Amino acid sequence: MQTGFASIKLALLHYSLAIMLVSLALAVSLALQTSLGNPFWFFFSVAVILSTWFGRAGAGWLAVVYSTLAVMYYFTPPLRSFSVAPSELPFFLTFVGCEVGVTRLIAWRRRVDDALRQARDELEARVAERTAELKNANDALLRQMEEQKRTEEALQVTRAELTRVARITTIGELTASIAHEVNQPLAAVVANADACVAWLSREHPDLVEARAAADRATQGATRASEVITRIRSLISKATPEKSRFEMNHVIEQTVALAEGQASRNNVTIESDLSPDVRHVLGDNIQLQQVILNLLMNGIEAMTTVTDRPRKLAIRSESQSGGQIRVSVRDSGVGVSPDVMGRLFEPFFTTRAKGMGMGLPISRSIIEAHGGRLWAESNGSDGATFQFTLPSGDGPAS
Amino acid sequence: MKEQDPVVFVIDDDRMIREGLQSLIRSIGLRVETFASAQDFLIAKRPDVPACLVLDVRMPGVSGLDLQLKLSDAGIHIPIIFVTGHGDIPMSVRAMKEGAHEFLTKPVRGQDLLDAIQKAIASDRGSRKDRQELNEVRERFDTLTPREKEVLNLVVAGLLNKQIADQLGMSELTVKTHRAHVMEKTNAESLAHLVRMSEKLKNSLRR
Repeated sequence: MQTGFASIKLALLHYSLAIMLVSLALAVSLALQTSLGNPFWFFFSVAVILSTWFGRAGAGWLAVVYSTLAVMYYFTPPLRSFSVAPSELPFFLTFVGCEVGVTRLIAWRRRVDDALRQARDELEARVAERTAELKNANDALLRQMEEQKRTEEALQVTRAELTRVARITTIGELTASIAHEVNQPLAAVVANADACVAWLSREHPDLVEARAAADRATQGATRASEVITRIRSLISKATPEKSRFEMNHVIEQTVALAEGQASRNNVTIESDLSPDVRHVLGDNIQLQQVILNLLMNGIEAMTTVTDRPRKLAIRSESQSGGQIRVSVRDSGVGVSPDVMGRLFEPFFTTRAKGMGMGLPISRSIIEAHGGRLWAESNGSDGATFQFTLPSGDGPAS
Repeated sequence: MKEQDPVVFVIDDDRMIREGLQSLIRSIGLRVETFASAQDFLIAKRPDVPACLVLDVRMPGVSGLDLQLKLSDAGIHIPIIFVTGHGDIPMSVRAMKEGAHEFLTKPVRGQDLLDAIQKAIASDRGSRKDRQELNEVRERFDTLTPREKEVLNLVVAGLLNKQIADQLGMSELTVKTHRAHVMEKTNAESLAHLVRMSEKLKNSLRR
C-alpha cells in the first residue's frame, strides 16, 4: 500500500496513461477515418480496457469520459461539436454503454486479479513466516541437543577423571610400596652384576659363578620390568575393555601389589582361592582396582589393632547359579552400624586423608559387571567386604 | 676353611638379593651364611668366629631394627651393616644409636658393601680380642684373695706401701708380700700395666 506522495504520483501516472491511450486512439481513429470508415469503436474500447487494466477504476472512468467527449466531438454528427443529433443518439448511447460496461468489467477483473495476487502474496508471506518460525524452532532444538551432548560428554569426562583420581589416590598410598617393589629387583640386579664382575676379576676367573650371577641379574631385571608393567596397566587411563580372564590369577596379581603395604603394617595376607573359580568376563584392570581397594581398606582398618594378629583373608569360591564370590575379611576395627549404612555413599570417609570414592566406585564397577558388592560386620572383630560376579564360563555371549 | 675364618651373615627376605650378595661376598673368599628371616637367624647355630651381619631393614615378621634390639638385649655383639630401600633419617639415627656399623641404601654398590664388610669384620676381630683379653684379666683378678683385692685397690689409687699398711692396720712388709702376689697373679709387668688392667675391668663392670 503506497501512501502520501507516492500514491498521488501513482494516480497521476494512471490518469496520464488513460489520457495518452485515449489520445492515441483518437489520433489513430482520425487518421484511419477516411480509409476504414469509423473504426473508433475498436480503438477507444482498447484504450478504455488498457486504461482500466493498468490504471485501475479511476483511470478507466477518465478514459470513458474522454472517449465519449472525443466521439461526441469528432465522430458523431453534428461533427466538431459536443452535441449529438437525435438520429445518432441510439448509436452514441450504445457506444457509451459499451464503454461503461467494458470499464466495469475490466475493473472487476482487475480487482479479482489483485485480490488473488494479494492473497497469494499473503499466503507466500505467511508460508515464509511459518517456515522461518519452524526453522528457528528447529535451530533451537538443535542447539539444545548440542548442549545436552556437551553436558553428557563433560559428565563422562568428569566421571572418568574421578575414577582415575581414586585410582591414583590408591596408587599414591601405594607409592612407597611400589618403590620397594621396583627397588628390590634392582638391588638384586646390582648385587648379582657386581658379583659377576668380581668373579671375572679374580686371578683365575670363575666362569661358572660369573654365569650364575649374570643369570640372576637377568632374572632381577625381568622381575623389575614385570612390576613396571603391572603398575602401568593399573594406572593407565584405558577405557573399560571386556575380556575373559582367570579370576584367581587377577586376585593373585593384586595381592602381590598389596603385599608391600601389608608387610609394612605387619599384616599377613592369606589367600584361599578355590580351583572351581575359573573365568570372568569383564575389565580385569577395573576388577583389580576393586580388589586392591578392598585390600587397602582392610589393611587400613587394622593399623590400630594390637591385641590380635593382623590378618587379611581373601577368598574366592564358586557358588550355585554360575556365580563367583570373592570376599576380603579383616580383623580390624570393624564397621559400626551407622557407618555401615553410609559406606557406599560418595565422599563418605572415616579417614583423614580418604576421598570417600573407593567403595562407591568399586560398587559401580561390580554392578557394571552384573554383580553385587556389599559389606558385613564380623561381630567382635573386623568386617568382610565381598562381591559376586557372574561366571564367564558359560556359553560365550 | 679353618674354623676361625670369619663369616658374613646375610638376612634378606628376597631370594635373588640373598643369592647375589652371597655370590658377591664369596667372590672375595669370605664364608657366607644366608637367612630368609630374622627368626631363622636367631634359631640357627652360629660359629664363634669373627663375623658381621648384613641386614635388610624392612622384612616381614621381625624387622631389621627389631633384630638389632633383640641381639643387643641377648648380649650378642656382632657388627651390623644395615641395608635399606629408603633410608629415612629417623630410622638410620635409631639404628646408629643402637650401634649399627654401617647404613647403606639399596641398591648397594658391591664395592661399598665389601668395604663395609671388611671393616666390620676387622672391628669384630678387634672387639673379640678385647673381650677375650678382658675375660683373661677378669679370670686372673678373680684368683686374688679378699685381702689382696683391698691392697690392689689402694695400690692403683696411688697410695704408698706405708700408707696402705697404716690404713689396713698391717705391717709394711705384709703389704709388700700381698703386692708381690697381686703382681704375680695378674701377670702385671709394671705398676702402670696393673693400673690399666684394673681400669679396664672397672669400666666393663660399670657398663
